[in-house]
Amino acid sequence: MASKGGVRGGNKAAREFVSEAEEILETMRARLADLSDCLGAGAEADPDLVNALFRAAHSLKALAGLFRFDPISSLAHKLEDVLDGLRLGRVALAPPLCAWLDETIALFGSLLGQVGDAAALAGSAARIEELTAGVAAITAPSAAPDEFASLALDPNVLRALTEYEEHRLRESLRRGRHIAVVDAPFEIKTFEEGLAELSSALRESGEVLSTLPSPGDSLESQIRFSLLVATDLPPAELAARIEFPGAAARTVRAGRAVPAAVAAPAATPAQVPAEAEGDAPAPIPELESLKSISDTVRVDIRKLDDLMNLVGELVIQRGAIGDLIARLGGRSETAKIGREFAKVHKVLDRKLRELQSAVLEVRMVPLRQVFEKVSRVVRRLRRELGKLVDLEIRGADTELDKLIVEALVDPLMHVVRNALDHAIEPAEERRALLKEESGRISIDAFQRGSHVVIEVRDDGRGIDRAALRRRAEQVGLVEPDAVLSDKETLDLIFAPGISTREQVTETSGRGVGMDIVRSNLAALGGVVDVESTPGRGTAIAITLPITLAIIQSLIVGVRDRRFAIPLNSVLETLVVDAGAIQVSEGRSLLNLRGTPLLLRRIDEEFGLTASARAVRPCVIVVGVGEQRLGLIVDRLEGQQDTVIKPIQGPVQNLRGISGATDLGDQDPVLVLDLSALVEDALRRREAA
Amino acid sequence: MPRILIVEDSPTMRSLLTSSLEELEGPVKIVEVASGFEALRHLPREPFDLIVTDINMPDINGLELVSFVKNNAAYRDIPLVIVSTERSERDRDKGIGLGADAYLVKPFEPEALRDIARRLLDDAE
Repeated sequence: MASKGGVRGGNKAAREFVSEAEEILETMRARLADLSDCLGAGAEADPDLVNALFRAAHSLKALAGLFRFDPISSLAHKLEDVLDGLRLGRVALAPPLCAWLDETIALFGSLLGQVGDAAALAGSAARIEELTAGVAAITAPSAAPDEFASLALDPNVLRALTEYEEHRLRESLRRGRHIAVVDAPFEIKTFEEGLAELSSALRESGEVLSTLPSPGDSLESQIRFSLLVATDLPPAELAARIEFPGAAARTVRAGRAVPAAVAAPAATPAQVPAEAEGDAPAPIPELESLKSISDTVRVDIRKLDDLMNLVGELVIQRGAIGDLIARLGGRSETAKIGREFAKVHKVLDRKLRELQSAVLEVRMVPLRQVFEKVSRVVRRLRRELGKLVDLEIRGADTELDKLIVEALVDPLMHVVRNALDHAIEPAEERRALLKEESGRISIDAFQRGSHVVIEVRDDGRGIDRAALRRRAEQVGLVEPDAVLSDKETLDLIFAPGISTREQVTETSGRGVGMDIVRSNLAALGGVVDVESTPGRGTAIAITLPITLAIIQSLIVGVRDRRFAIPLNSVLETLVVDAGAIQVSEGRSLLNLRGTPLLLRRIDEEFGLTASARAVRPCVIVVGVGEQRLGLIVDRLEGQQDTVIKPIQGPVQNLRGISGATDLGDQDPVLVLDLSALVEDALRRREAA
Repeated sequence: MPRILIVEDSPTMRSLLTSSLEELEGPVKIVEVASGFEALRHLPREPFDLIVTDINMPDINGLELVSFVKNNAAYRDIPLVIVSTERSERDRDKGIGLGADAYLVKPFEPEALRDIARRLLDDAE
């Protein structure tokens, strides 16, 4: 795990690099355009713009160096050099330099598109060299440093100046501007506003060279700032400008007496005094630069939930409008208007779908953050447990609804901890077994239809079925003479009260086992499957729906009731003769292309007896994880988008029902909880 | 539990600093801020055992932050590491001159940062 220079898994590092670098480039393009405007107007380079450009190039270089993309790194280095020369006054801003900067930034943009593609990057090398060589002609040797010793300045202010700020100070001295220090106290909780106000007032008449914080009268609640200012205003006028409580200006070096009206335009065009334009405040540079840092917005997930609910309700109303249109179309006198209505409805329908997917999209976050947390825990645990384990993560870009991602953390962490703590053998044991000394845990995430599968695999000792069985018998889960298939035996790890290791460890804790993992995931509509080979390892697959909010449902009729079945779990639907359903040992079975399919009758499940069963019932084949089950219903009533809402009140915990939905006709429909139905069916089969 | 304040405006660099320091032995609490101003606001809120700061930042620069910390009786005992590029030796010398306890060049070895952090955290105890 020697991560030289901080390079971690290529993909993730590359993506992060690209996204941050793109943001930086965007800032650079905007600043460069402003700079070109300066130049076009025949003015000098605005030092704030040049410095912003330099800072951007500097960040870019730091990033590029970090991720070891050599072509980008060398170009960023060059770009930073040039901008550094520009901001330190070593290089003059001229059209050829602007053109060079423009081309370099453009080349950067295309290089970013090639990250991860070694051949393409190599192909760009010539262009990089060309640009690197070309700039030599535009740059000039640096000037000798000045001395500030003669300034009546607090040494602390001088000591904290960066090289760039020193240059600005030198430059201001050369121009014969007045140099002053403005000192002001602030409350630490609110200093930013006051300071921004003061700085912007000062910037109207000059340049703020540095902003040095120092302790206030009360060390913890107050703070002082000393602003080093270069200005063309005479000291008296500067003092008059500062209408700030407690602020004081002190002249450090009196400038040459130059009429401000002449000096100002020649000095810094972006800082032409604002009084000419009346009271309009000049833009505050700090705020401006903060604004450009990011174009993302953080939103409270609850606001997105509200939005989702609204969209859900619209979806339902859309369904109701569809019914109305059908009724209009059914009568000759309204058929024409019905057809027109239908066209409008179609557009509405399409837009609504777009809105719905846009809202869903906003809620999607990559699994990366969860994986990073897991990875940190693994690193810590392997140190604590003294085990050699490599963790491999793939598919961290896979996206899921934010709520699901949040709820996934604990179950996933538990599964990984189990693997680390129980499954992976200590190094000596692995050596004795002729296994690689270092254990391996891999986490793979990938999308499968409307679900995301997260698979945790280890190459440890595997699940000891005999021990599992013994334990299950001990706690009375399984009768001693019961015959269980291999899968049924393995599934016992999800039963409450099972732990195959007697020894309790801090890592995996006591009692909280895979049963909690399974029930936590079931609450999200997820399922867990396990596979294990003794001596070779175990794989735990967690399957989760991509989103909870709006799902396509199959609406079915059972007797006089309707139910919704999440469509993403429906494998197929069949209409069968009642006679095709075989009953043996109290179980209903259907021969589905040679494989017996276990059946459940929904009416029996919920004790429905009103009105009669259909002569030719329908069988809905559902798949939950690896399990299959056929549900017997009387009618298929169609597919619909449904917004599932939790049920509040007495039937809240009715097993087999996961929520309720509203189809727009005011009649609530219960949503079947397939994982519970499947689980119960299997358990009953074991009991039988 | 040692508390570490990380002051760095680049999100990627910030997360790298954090993940490097999270691998220190034993639990640490890490507070990340993206600017010098945020750091100034954070300092009075909780006692820190280590400050890690960049130099080039949008509001006040890292040297100014060092100067503030080292001139403030309430904070001057907090060890401070500057993590910045090799760009300006002068800036580095100034940082050390202002009282920074260590200087690390970007891109850095996570283990080098941890070495410095361990040393500074141990010294403080």
